[in-house]
Amino acid sequence: MDCHQCQKHCHSVKNKPSWWKRLTKKPPSRQMLARDGNIALVGTPNVGKSVLFNRLTGVYVNVSNYPGTTVEVSRGITKIKDRQIGVIDTPGMYSLVPISEEEKVARDLLLQESLDVVIHVVDGKNIGRMLPLTFQLIEAGLPVVLAVNMMDEAENLGLKIESNALTMELGIPVVLMSAALNRGIRELKQAILQSLSSQSKPALANLEVGK
Amino acid sequence: MTRQIIYPEPIEQAISAIESWLESLGKSNVLGQYSLSRRSLALLLLQKDPTLWQTLEQAPQQQQEIEILLTVAQNQLQYPLDLAIAETRQKQARDLEALTIQTTKPAANSFPETLHRLSVNPLTGFPILIVILYFGVYKFVGEFGAGELVDRIEGFFEGQINPVVNQIVAQILPWQPLQDLIGNDYGIITLGIRYATAIVLPVVATYFLMFSLLEDSGYLPRMSLMLDRLFKSIGLSGRAVIPMVLGLGCDTMATMVTRTLETKRERLIATFLLSLAVPCAAQWGVILGLLAQKPAALVVWGGLIMAIFLVMGYLSAKLFPGTSGAFYLEIPPLRLPKLQNILTKTWIRMKWYFWEILPLFIWASVLIWLGKLTGLFDLIIRGIEPFAVAIGMPAETAPVFLYGFFRRDYGAAGLFDIQQQGGLTGNQLVIAAVVLTLFLPCIAQLQIMIKERGLKTTLAMIAFIVPFAFLVGYCVNLSFNLLGVSL
Amino acid sequence: MNALSKVKIGQVQTVAKLGTQETTVRRKLMAMGITPGSSLIVEQRFPSYIVKVGYTRAALDREIAATIFVN
Ligand SMILES: Nc1nc2c(ncn2[C@@H]2O[C@H](COP(=O)(O)OP(=O)(O)OP(=O)(O)O)[C@@H](O)[C@H]2O)c(=O)[nH]1
Ligand SMILES: [Mg+2]
Repeated sequence: MDCHQCQKHCHSVKNKPSWWKRLTKKPPSRQMLARDGNIALVGTPNVGKSVLFNRLTGVYVNVSNYPGTTVEVSRGITKIKDRQIGVIDTPGMYSLVPISEEEKVARDLLLQESLDVVIHVVDGKNIGRMLPLTFQLIEAGLPVVLAVNMMDEAENLGLKIESNALTMELGIPVVLMSAALNRGIRELKQAILQSLSSQSKPALANLEVGK
Repeated sequence: MTRQIIYPEPIEQAISAIESWLESLGKSNVLGQYSLSRRSLALLLLQKDPTLWQTLEQAPQQQQEIEILLTVAQNQLQYPLDLAIAETRQKQARDLEALTIQTTKPAANSFPETLHRLSVNPLTGFPILIVILYFGVYKFVGEFGAGELVDRIEGFFEGQINPVVNQIVAQILPWQPLQDLIGNDYGIITLGIRYATAIVLPVVATYFLMFSLLEDSGYLPRMSLMLDRLFKSIGLSGRAVIPMVLGLGCDTMATMVTRTLETKRERLIATFLLSLAVPCAAQWGVILGLLAQKPAALVVWGGLIMAIFLVMGYLSAKLFPGTSGAFYLEIPPLRLPKLQNILTKTWIRMKWYFWEILPLFIWASVLIWLGKLTGLFDLIIRGIEPFAVAIGMPAETAPVFLYGFFRRDYGAAGLFDIQQQGGLTGNQLVIAAVVLTLFLPCIAQLQIMIKERGLKTTLAMIAFIVPFAFLVGYCVNLSFNLLGVSL
Repeated sequence: MNALSKVKIGQVQTVAKLGTQETTVRRKLMAMGITPGSSLIVEQRFPSYIVKVGYTRAALDREIAATIFVN
């Protein structure tokens, strides 16, 4: 919601996209910042993407308990072992076909930027409603990791999620977590690393996945 | 081994057709710039994705061919393509959910659940809304922030800082006008910085603190659904509740947030109402502080502004063609706000606000100083005086309207100063408060308005707002006199 | 087939059809889990409709609620 923060406080963040776009074709200079790849956090509004972004990068972006808090892209860096990885927080989106302005911001990022991992953050209480976006991300040939967030609330409701079965069925890594309680962050980082290293060779193979 | 969604046969055929067609295009494919798989691009095209469709317009030939493939697929289905695609995914998602999720115990009726019921039930929800406004806004921001805190900090400035500053400048600066630039009545420190830190900051800080609590608890979407019908009658929808409530903190931020409204008409009406009839925290906080001793005056001011908000909203809804946007909103569970998030958020907003106003307040001091030095200030004041007198104000209040021109909160703070010296009747206070509330938005808000809505629209709004504010002041004064009201 | 405005409050219903003509409204409804075949509960009608789909709650205005049909 509060885009002013980006404009006023994170000048570097706000200013990035213009030169960022120009540099997308010249990876060497971009790697100065995000040396070892770029990951994006995407998903339905209000599932905890910005909390997770904050946990991964230490950069504060606005977090509130209603859909549509984030309306612009924010960027930060996370360190996993000795790797330095760029992290992108996006506005919430419901599907790959955008309806409102801020959804378009998130979708255009997926369309235009080459991402090494896409983390689809979902609400553990409402997986069924959010999986269609997972399917779409997989279909698009993107390297997806599913982060099932808000597990604390799901557990309180008596829900038990078989992450192994999800991994099997979807064919992508699945991590159960509670970003707000700092639970599962380490496992997620692990999954990011694995996903990064497993695709380092056949990075383009992804494009063939969709038949 | 990645799970592949299989769509109904006609769609799958269309997908393969588009895929092989994309492949055959090779380098001439205008969609080649996008980093998604062909299957995904095909599906997006089948759903008439606006961005891709626009890109295709660069190659009309390609667009036509896609159009044909689309029609063929559509003709074989009973319902719209996008619906068929979405339903296929949803069904698979439901199946997968059933396979991987177990409910181990029935969900108990928890406390947040009860609280939710109470907050949205009309019988209890509206009283709760009023209680929140009364304690959160009136008691906490109004009495505590604008009363207690302002008095304390203001007293500290008057008692400790100003005299010292005045003394120091008197000693080290040999020239009277130079002394006035830093200290005395209109100095950068004694006026500009004092207004910013002693009068505006405490009010804004308390409001942002309260607003963060509302945001993090999840109450705001509930407020939206409670007020949707009311907002529909003024051409907006429940969705606009959040920017409006934010506007009671800072109209500049709120004008940016109108971006989340879905129709152009809604964005236009919201921007207009924000600049006309939604006072920012600094402004209404100070006014609340001023009128606190006169409850009747407070009620008249509050009632008038509310009435103007509703009537002008209603009229602009009639004036601008179109209907209110549809209202649908996900309602997240009520959550216990996290202290650290509240504090961080309030702090960041406060900092932003402070750095936004401080230079402006300092500039205002400098400009006033320059004006005084050249005599321009007095000239302008004399130009405003007749207007001030026409709406029943003493001539000394003319500068306040000039301040208001710089920033609404600056004007309100000026009014606060005059009242401190004990000069205004209840009637005059109400009139000044009403005119200042309606009067021009501050410079920062104007900038954002121009950026978001364009120069022409902004100018049109100003051309309406300035005379309207004085007209209302004039009418209020007139009716006070005719009815023999004395507050 | 009944519109949401006609159904009993608190009972589980199965969505039969989304009758809205606007693609954007239909997409948002589906994104909130209101799709043909899913079950929902109408929790209240005034001042706005509140429906519960699974563990998701959504608020809708009268006009949209009138276009959602259930069995
Ligand atoms: N209980 C619980 N709450 C969480 C968790 N993660 C996030 N939240 C809360 O969920 C709400 C939304 O979090 P955000 O990070 O703003 O969500 P977002 O996905 O960035 O939302 P948008 O910017 O609107 O797309 C906040 O109130 C968080 O405190 C979690 O793991 N457990
Ligand atoms: Mg966010």
